[in-house]
Amino acid sequence: MVQEEGSSSFGSSPLHLFSMMSLSPGVGSPYPWLREMRSEDRGLFLIHLLIACANHVASGNVENANIGLEYISHLASPDGDTMQRIVAYFTEALADRMLKGWPGLHKALNSTKITSVTEEIIVQKLFFEFCPFLKLAYVITNQAILEAMEGEKVVHIIDLNSFEPAQWISLLQALRERPEGPPHLRITGIHEQKGVLEQMANRLNQEAEKLDIPFQFNPIVSRLENLDVESLRVKSGEAVAISSVLQLHSLLAVDDEMLRRNSPLVNKSPNAVHFQRVLQMNPRTLGDFLDKDVINTCGASPDSESSSPLSLPIPPKIASFLNAISVLSPKLMVVTEQESNHNGFSLMERITEALNFYAALFDGLESTAPRASIERQKIEKMLFGEEIKNIISCEGLDRKKRHEKLDKWIPRLELAGLGKVPLSYHVMLQARRLLHSYNYDGYKIKVENGCFVICWQDQPLFSASAWRFIRYS
Amino acid sequence: MTEEVISIGSTQNPVSGSNPQPAVKKKRSLPGTPDPEAEVIALSPKTLMATNRFLCEICGKGFQRDQNLQLHRRGHNLPWKLKQRSSKEVRKRVYVCPEKSCVHHHPSRALGDLTGIKKHFCRKHGEKKWKCEKCSKRYAVQSDWKAHSKTCGTREYKCDCGTIFSRRDSFITHRAFCDALAEETARVNAGSHMKNHAGHMNYQFSLGPNMGQHFSSIFKPISSNPQNIDPMTRGLSLWNMSQQPPQSQETICKNLQEMHQMGVSVSSGGAIYSCIDPPVNPCPSNPHSPSTTYQLTWDFAKNLNSSNGAANDQLSCNSLPLSNINVKDMGNHQLSGSVSSLFSTQQQSHQQTSAANMSATALLQKAAQIGATTTDPSLLGNFGLKCTENPIQNPVTTGLGSDFSALNHLQMYPSMRHHIQNQENITEGETRDFLGVGIQSICHPSSINGWI
Repeated sequence: MVQEEGSSSFGSSPLHLFSMMSLSPGVGSPYPWLREMRSEDRGLFLIHLLIACANHVASGNVENANIGLEYISHLASPDGDTMQRIVAYFTEALADRMLKGWPGLHKALNSTKITSVTEEIIVQKLFFEFCPFLKLAYVITNQAILEAMEGEKVVHIIDLNSFEPAQWISLLQALRERPEGPPHLRITGIHEQKGVLEQMANRLNQEAEKLDIPFQFNPIVSRLENLDVESLRVKSGEAVAISSVLQLHSLLAVDDEMLRRNSPLVNKSPNAVHFQRVLQMNPRTLGDFLDKDVINTCGASPDSESSSPLSLPIPPKIASFLNAISVLSPKLMVVTEQESNHNGFSLMERITEALNFYAALFDGLESTAPRASIERQKIEKMLFGEEIKNIISCEGLDRKKRHEKLDKWIPRLELAGLGKVPLSYHVMLQARRLLHSYNYDGYKIKVENGCFVICWQDQPLFSASAWRFIRYS
Repeated sequence: MTEEVISIGSTQNPVSGSNPQPAVKKKRSLPGTPDPEAEVIALSPKTLMATNRFLCEICGKGFQRDQNLQLHRRGHNLPWKLKQRSSKEVRKRVYVCPEKSCVHHHPSRALGDLTGIKKHFCRKHGEKKWKCEKCSKRYAVQSDWKAHSKTCGTREYKCDCGTIFSRRDSFITHRAFCDALAEETARVNAGSHMKNHAGHMNYQFSLGPNMGQHFSSIFKPISSNPQNIDPMTRGLSLWNMSQQPPQSQETICKNLQEMHQMGVSVSSGGAIYSCIDPPVNPCPSNPHSPSTTYQLTWDFAKNLNSSNGAANDQLSCNSLPLSNINVKDMGNHQLSGSVSSLFSTQQQSHQQTSAANMSATALLQKAAQIGATTTDPSLLGNFGLKCTENPIQNPVTTGLGSDFSALNHLQMYPSMRHHIQNQENITEGETRDFLGVGIQSICHPSSINGWI
């Protein structure tokens, strides 16, 4: 009898414990003993609850997931310690995912959302200031460019996400000090917001004039996946360098539905199928439809852990992007990416990887900003929180935050015709110097095969590597 | 400054060109601070760079000075004449640099020496024609180049990481940043003390001349502008030295306000470049006695290592070298007995604020250890995956029980155990979960799915 079975498994104290609660939800946190819990115990408890809840979401058990979320809501909080914050954002993402099972409900709740572009830009700047990663990425990129462009008279830099003038200002200053004098510099900046690019143009032009360097800034308002390479206007004879800071992974977005059908790990549970299917959007554009077709022809299962890298189909967007820019024959491309696998096929895989990754990120942020800091909350909510939401609750082409580790990127880039350029000792020197000058304790830079991996304690977070285009004979 | 002999008197050995030793050795004064009474001479670049203006008509050999030419003419048995030094007082001469943008262009910053101004002009405004063979250094002045070639590669300092230096100061600067050293020191020093100490060290070393040929310009010498926090006026660079917390907070707030005011066109002025010194750590900044605090942390680390056996929680050893916060709280937690004395004020302040704030990464590691039978750290994943199997077979009943059996681990949490024991006395009648729904209803899936 189902009921008996149920009650026997509830014989253990924990659920009994929760049953003691006679207060109805919505009265705030009514459990004094929860408050007295040590934060370490609470943290461990939260992790267990989160994983249990995630399992239910993954297998489509809405009711159990709901109960889990309810429990968690009494313990997690965006104002608490790092574990509480992380779990708060993860559960928000899980809830969002669950809600997508009722598309009407989901759309109704999200239709009146005000997306403030200014706020998003401010959050990017805050991330630049509070965390060392962007600064490190810029220093590494600049030093690598300087070295590669030694002796060049005309340099053209393509910035795949141009929003922070500081990056290029420091390069301008460094170019001034070159023994052979500064080159003629052109920077093409790509961004979705026109205002951001105008700001960049003003600041950079100002700085270049001050330093008396011949300079030109070309803004391109476009999404990266829709980039028209012709619009970059690369002239022959220019030495081209490309700076890609946390941009390439969005080009990995594909329609996973096709791939899932071919995968041997298909989850046959009826609830799950219903659940997953609703999450896939039907192809709305010709582009989506074509993506599907390409994947069909490629065929192989995308399960990241088991198959060898070469058998993976290269997602079409990135293949076409790399092809397009290889035509420009750039001298150097510096790629900075998140060093974690958030592109796993199964949700649980992504969640466990993301937990470790964002735990380290949140810890790092905790060490540089106080808990009450609104800026820190903004970064956590609007930047990390949104990434987590994308990783967990989105599927298919909507899931843009497809972070992958270097060991996936390297073969992919090599297959596209690039050769790795090991980052020199001077690059490392500059990077370490930056960390020391800001007293960023706890962050480390490791070298792996000529690439840099920026870690918080021992958790790898971001990777930086340099590439050049090998011409085919 | 060396006294240049303008004309050679009628003494017998003028050829050697050696300066007669002045009776009182004049002290070298600062460059560019000339005698106000001196005569200012402005030579054209051509004149400055000119060499060998005086030519011998017989063999065509060129000389820089007329006297040398005259002496050379003696060798050809040509009539020669040496000019006498003029009898009246020779006024001191100073020279200005012809380059308009140069500091020494203005008479008040003129240089007192002709050779000096020639060399200055070449070095600063000239082309570097001379290149060292061994290394890639280039020089505009031949004498500089010669001097360098003599010492290039002669004396070498080697760092642990394998890099070789010819100069002692650059070697020292490098060592400060070298990884091997940094890792070691990071491991043994509790964060906050190291922070202050490192801040000090970096102050000095950032001014090292050979650090990073390219980005050295960006590092502003802090000693020259300790008060000036606002980077807007100082020009913009990717990074500044860390500032005192209150001031940097101000700048951030001020600049953020500006950003808000400007709407979309975000002011990317100073705000972006100033960094924030973590105000989290309430550590007393002790610039006076860094060595003593340094010493304290060393002792603490040693004590900690020796008391490892006592501390049962293995996480404390692992996380000790890692984050600052861990250290302080581990101090609170396990080792209050032996080392509390070392942490006088700091520890107390932390005891009041938070109890055992483990970092999230440490918690995850611990959870992985607890949640599984083996010690494989990736078990957190396994833990999750294991539970998926049950729900598939029996979606609701066993699902809820089996993974909330993870809650059995609650038994491990001593504080929880205490409460569990207290509350077990409550009668069965109150067994309702807080949804007010009662256990039975959970077993029957109230199919929300039935909606669709």
